[in-house]
Amino acid sequence: MVAQKGSSLVTLFGYRISWAQLAWFGHRASGLGVLLFLFAHVVETATVALGPDVYNFTQTLYHNLPARLGEILLMAALVYHSLNGLRVIMMDFWPRTTVYYRPLTYGVVAATIAAMIPLSILMIAPYAPWGAA
Amino acid sequence: MAVGRTIWTEQDAAHERRRYPSARQRPGPQATGRERFWWYFMRISGLILVLLALGHMLIMHVLVELSGQEINFAFITSRWGTPFWRIYDLLLLLLALVHGVNGARIVIGDYVQHHTLRALLIGLLALITLLWLIAGIIVIVAFNPGSGPAVGPFS
Repeated sequence: MVAQKGSSLVTLFGYRISWAQLAWFGHRASGLGVLLFLFAHVVETATVALGPDVYNFTQTLYHNLPARLGEILLMAALVYHSLNGLRVIMMDFWPRTTVYYRPLTYGVVAATIAAMIPLSILMIAPYAPWGAA
Repeated sequence: MAVGRTIWTEQDAAHERRRYPSARQRPGPQATGRERFWWYFMRISGLILVLLALGHMLIMHVLVELSGQEINFAFITSRWGTPFWRIYDLLLLLLALVHGVNGARIVIGDYVQHHTLRALLIGLLALITLLWLIAGIIVIVAFNPGSGPAVGPFS
């Protein structure tokens, strides 16, 4: 697709793409990121078969700030991938909505940010000076 | 291509097929056989996963902590003591893994042009997925909450 004249373009891997097309790249990146975590998560959860000592130890790997920041990133990736996926499904099965491709795409980004504000605050709370539970 | 036109026409689709050869192979609802199945699978599993995966994240990564609990062996014993959560986790494992790996397969197909390398990567991905899936299903199904502390496989 040719980007509209005057619309902002970014260069990514040698392609000049619009911000709306970045949404497509974000869908891939977030999907692959969540998949990578899923493979690790299956291994980590499988340690439950080795008994309480091993499993309780594996869970302590999550109990630090970097892991929690990763969890917040994971949540953001999943929220974005879900909302953008719903947009794709809607446009696939209800073609007339493709007319609103741009506003819907920006809406997905806006909704992701809106959802992540309270979620991030809740998730970071145990590590924040103002919210040690 | 007209500038400023937002409606996608058959002419645009034909233009894209000529310009981007990989788009010709991209699965769509018009695809036949296996690719048609995967096109629908991604959308239907995606709809279910919005509820399952976001629900899982919200419960395990937000609500558990808010309610003053901690995820440990005792938590899993209680959680997998009910068939509901076992079936929930089984369904989530199956759909998320297959949905994610099929996405990765499509990404590999888009970027890896070399036929042998592409087949090798996709085959490897399928093999790893099968192993992970079997391991995951065994862990969820075989977990025995009434067995008390487990002693590991070597004793």
